[in-house]
Amino acid sequence: MQQQQQNPAATAAIQNVAVQSNSAGGSSTAEAPPKQVALAMDRLSHAARLIADIRLGADRLLEALFVAAQPHQSNKPVKLFPNEDASMRQHLQDLRSIGKQLEESGVLSESLRSRSNSWGLHMPLVCPDGAVVAYAWKRQLAGQAGASAVDRTRLALKAFTDQKRRFFPHLDEDLNGQDSEPNVKKHRSLQVVRETREEDLSDCKTLLDVLTRLEKEVPNVKIVTYERLDWSKRASSLPSSANENPMEALKEHNFHTSNRMKPVSLGNAAPDKAAVIELFFPSIFRAIVSLHPAGSIDPDAVAFFSPDEGGSYMHARGVSVYHVFKHITEHAVMALQSFLGVEVETALYSLLHWICSYQNLFTKVCSKCGRLLAMDRQLGLLLPPIYRPYQQFSAFKVSSTQPNTSVKDQSSNLARAYHIGCFSEDT
Amino acid sequence: MPIKWVLPWQPNAGTTASSQIVNEVTQCVESMNGVKDGRWKATLTFYKPMLRDQTLASEFPRDFLGMSLPEQPSKYYFIIRGQRLVLEADSSIQTIMDKLQSYKARVSLNFEGFQYQLGDFQLRVGKVSPTHSEALRGIVMEVEYLPISSMEKSRQMMEEFLDIWQDALSKRSLPGHFVHLEPNFADFGLGDLYTSQHTAVQYATVVAQVISTVQAGQAVRN
Repeated sequence: MQQQQQNPAATAAIQNVAVQSNSAGGSSTAEAPPKQVALAMDRLSHAARLIADIRLGADRLLEALFVAAQPHQSNKPVKLFPNEDASMRQHLQDLRSIGKQLEESGVLSESLRSRSNSWGLHMPLVCPDGAVVAYAWKRQLAGQAGASAVDRTRLALKAFTDQKRRFFPHLDEDLNGQDSEPNVKKHRSLQVVRETREEDLSDCKTLLDVLTRLEKEVPNVKIVTYERLDWSKRASSLPSSANENPMEALKEHNFHTSNRMKPVSLGNAAPDKAAVIELFFPSIFRAIVSLHPAGSIDPDAVAFFSPDEGGSYMHARGVSVYHVFKHITEHAVMALQSFLGVEVETALYSLLHWICSYQNLFTKVCSKCGRLLAMDRQLGLLLPPIYRPYQQFSAFKVSSTQPNTSVKDQSSNLARAYHIGCFSEDT
Repeated sequence: MPIKWVLPWQPNAGTTASSQIVNEVTQCVESMNGVKDGRWKATLTFYKPMLRDQTLASEFPRDFLGMSLPEQPSKYYFIIRGQRLVLEADSSIQTIMDKLQSYKARVSLNFEGFQYQLGDFQLRVGKVSPTHSEALRGIVMEVEYLPISSMEKSRQMMEEFLDIWQDALSKRSLPGHFVHLEPNFADFGLGDLYTSQHTAVQYATVVAQVISTVQAGQAVRN
């Protein structure tokens, strides 16, 4: 609201000043900007005082009218009216002139801003909502501060979303509307995957079911389950590659652990105590998956090792001494997180099936460059294709007969392998 | 045990192996991020029977080889290529043979040099020279892929490595190349899982090639 300055005693002085400033001319372009700003401030306060005077005068007129309406009054009110009328007209006239001056100097319309010699100063601004801002740029700054806070927040949100999308791709399903095309497609195909999974899920609720089904679908794999302590014993007894006679070591160990070495499909650990699953592809690799809690179908760790490796460091959170298996393990950890994020109930089955896709590790060429062995520029190592895609991996492609193209993509995903350097997010 | 290929150097016609070539090969290994790991040495010995009656000599095999390998310090290997025989024995057999005076060492060759780690691969570059002389008669290279032991499963990886290796080496325009001679391991009774006996058999094959190369070189000079 406009400033209320009640100073009736100074009215005469003000009127003089107003007259003076009137005679000084309406335009103030000859003066330097600070003077212009000071003048504008003065005029604004004058205008406020004149408005106060006008209000007082209006009150007096009304009072006089009221008194005159009373029956037993003298001529006092009648004398009052012309005086009051004269002063009111004067006030209004002054106000008009001040208004003109203010307008010309750009206070009401910001026109000074466009003048080049403003020294960076801006005239005090009477904003459309009535607020008087002594320095217009103050409001601008306040506005800018607000705007930059919004911008900064927006940038931070964008950075966070990008990182989330990169490291936790399975959480993307929660985004709505504003995604770019690939995300939307992924979202839709994830829905399809979930539907097909749920249809086939009914018979894979226990560990036994999962392993039995896996054995049927992947004939080359040897699956054995262990209780956690039993696995530690076995890992330590596994021959390391220097030993040329692994059978002797195994026979020795057999004496103590009876039938643990038999690759019985139902597992040798009691189903409710099985905490470690060993997937063995002879001469290719050995993968260890840990379940938590024991007996459940919830995988919590996975690691790959050479088929000839042995030692107490071989467990689901251990690392192989060989580069190729070290990097596959890193990739597998991401895959496990992805499977758990998409759907927890089928995570174990998907993980085991995905692990089995590595049985052609030393024969399958890269789907991008067509070679088996390639020098990885970043690591400086010669490696075979280590990456097998796990997004949209569907373990149920065998049974699916939907003509949906997204399902076809998933089945072809199973056949793909990439070198670390050949893999990009678009593939 | 990790699978290994032993590759002899085949010099171009009219040239011989030299230390210069060994240096170039070593540099090539280092350019592929090979890290020097240490020295290695293997010894191969040609035996001849000690007979009172020399007329019986024809009944004994001509190429009876004995081999000691660095990765098996307590073992000694015998190979008779003609009969496709390979045998792993304890290293004390050498003393026994000495004491019995049954066989005498005719010629001994040393294979020695440096070994390098290239990620999951281990490479050995070696000079071939007679035991008591420094004269270089040939060059051999051992390529080992550490993570797996199956010959069949690793075949593609090894072939691709060899391609990459030959490619890198060809840029140096050397007068020759490494060759892969694969003996028929099944004939020797050896299986798919790699063992030191496989290595011994490979060396027996390689040494035959080295000798024939040297003889060819000498023939050219003469």
